[in-house]
Amino acid sequence: MNLISAELLKLRTTSLWWIFAVSMVPLYGLALGYNWLTTSVITEMDVPDEGPFGLISMQQIVSNLYTSGQFAGVLLVLLLSAILVTNEFFHLTATATFLTTPRRELVILAKMAVAVLIAVTVWLFTTGLNLIFAPVALSSTNNESFLGESFVWQAISLNLLVHVLWALVGIGCGVLIRSQIGTTITLTVLYVVGTQIFTAVFAVLANQVDEVFMQLRVLVPTLASELLVSGPQSPEDLPRWVGAVVLLAYAGVAGVLGTLITKRRDIA
Amino acid sequence: MTMSRPNYAEISVERLTKHYAKVRAVDDLSFTVHAGRVTGFLGPNGAGKTTALRMILGLVTPTSGTATIGGVRYVDMPDPIRQVGAILEASSAHRGRSARNHLRIICRAAGLPDQRADEVLAMVGLNTVGTRKFKGYSLGMKQRLGIAAAMLGDPRVLILDEPTNGLDPEGIRWMRDLLRALAAEGRTVLVSSHLLGEMQQLADDVVIIAAGRLIRQGPVAEVLGSTAGVARVRVRTPQPDQLAAALRDAQLEVTATPDGLLQVSGADAARVGHLAFTAGVELHELTGESADLERAFLDLTAGKAGAR
Ligand SMILES: Nc1ncnc2c1ncn2[C@@H]1O[C@H](COP(=O)(O)OP(=O)(O)OP(=O)(O)O)[C@@H](O)[C@H]1O
Ligand SMILES: [Mg+2]
Repeated sequence: MNLISAELLKLRTTSLWWIFAVSMVPLYGLALGYNWLTTSVITEMDVPDEGPFGLISMQQIVSNLYTSGQFAGVLLVLLLSAILVTNEFFHLTATATFLTTPRRELVILAKMAVAVLIAVTVWLFTTGLNLIFAPVALSSTNNESFLGESFVWQAISLNLLVHVLWALVGIGCGVLIRSQIGTTITLTVLYVVGTQIFTAVFAVLANQVDEVFMQLRVLVPTLASELLVSGPQSPEDLPRWVGAVVLLAYAGVAGVLGTLITKRRDIA
Repeated sequence: MTMSRPNYAEISVERLTKHYAKVRAVDDLSFTVHAGRVTGFLGPNGAGKTTALRMILGLVTPTSGTATIGGVRYVDMPDPIRQVGAILEASSAHRGRSARNHLRIICRAAGLPDQRADEVLAMVGLNTVGTRKFKGYSLGMKQRLGIAAAMLGDPRVLILDEPTNGLDPEGIRWMRDLLRALAAEGRTVLVSSHLLGEMQQLADDVVIIAAGRLIRQGPVAEVLGSTAGVARVRVRTPQPDQLAAALRDAQLEVTATPDGLLQVSGADAARVGHLAFTAGVELHELTGESADLERAFLDLTAGKAGAR
């Protein structure tokens, strides 16, 4: 508990958190605006409630609306979590930290706890706003609010889950890579354009080598995340929980490996 | 926070070794640091002082050997901040964080009350600038903050890596008085430094290492006595040639400097004065050069130094 309180104080006493908080606001606005626009466009096209409509169903649209800000929120949670770790090396505070707490794994655990708290906070922030704006957007496009529907609440819960899982991935990667700039760039690239790149890579592999590669796609963290959030898009897709397991495995492997390395590493 | 624990703690280093890819930074090093004394940890650049101190503090993993404080390894201490205070070369705070918050974070993690941060800030004279960000701190202020952090848990052992680096003469004096006072309270103080003159005034004991190995350990006077066997005397006289001849007759080594000064080694001032008197030579100055740590250090580490 002492360590978590110390980690929270670390977070609060630099300008980092509010830089992230401030950038979250316009990114959320953008996401909401985009989803709002999509809703109105699709509604005018008069989509059936259930069943696939080309690429997107009404259920999908409404879920997106209630999870607006997910893309940016998860990215910020991911980066902030990683920086919680890399900061210690970048600013040479690791010496003071590990002198105070020589059992280094406890420090990493405390950072994981704080990363989860950050994830929950960001989720609360966007979800709170979504519960206000999504019904407005829906009624402005002559739709009902769908708040009675279980799929909405499932989307909102899964949104929390991906935030938390990515927070853990962030800590794990921060511990593993350690370089502040290296980690930030790697994670941003992986998260922002990773999906497109890996989708293409796996499509080519599946086409040229073996169909099985299409199934292995889920091993890419961003694609696992997408599967978890959106569910299977076609009959041959894997079920949702596989996405959660893959993400959790990444967080676990990176975290455990990173912690073991951190325990052994010379702090100089 | 009073010094209520009477138990003193020794630092015990046993066969400590650290190999890096290309260098044996610390090589089979053993020494003991006693409570109630200031121990100077000396060695040329690259001797392995910082590496040894970091191993004692559990930051660097030894290749082999052990280091314990009061019989316990640092990493096994449940409350290390209350046992050991440390300042290390690279110890640093986040640039964008205030000194006070930096200390409070340590307090939180160690389960100490927040107000302890203000107490130690006042103790090192930083109380008026405690809310300023670390990036605005001068080198001297950073060293003072380091001391403040080291004193948070009122530890019985202090381990300091070149704490006087960047301090002005007044700061150095302040540090010296502080460390002496802490040792006088019964604490164990191990301090590395390059400033040998400074060390001579500060330390009770010295541990001298070079190329990762122990050269000499013991009370300052003992270490000096063992190396300064050759006493040196400086004489000024209007008849340098005559005196030099008389001294050489007595098997002493004499070097003349252009300004009429003679450097005599192998005898003390009384002997030189007596020889001059017998030779009927007039003296204007006669100074015995006391053995100093710098010379002892240079003698002891000669040929073993050099950046590695
Ligand atoms: N992380 C490291 N990797 C490789 N070599 C290292 C590392 N740290 C120290 N060394 C080497 O170990 C030796 C001892 O270094 P150390 O910093 O302990 O010396 P020092 O006595 O503190 O020197 P100084 O008086 O200059 O501070 C040096 O040769 C140094 O180059
Ligand atoms: Mg050093």
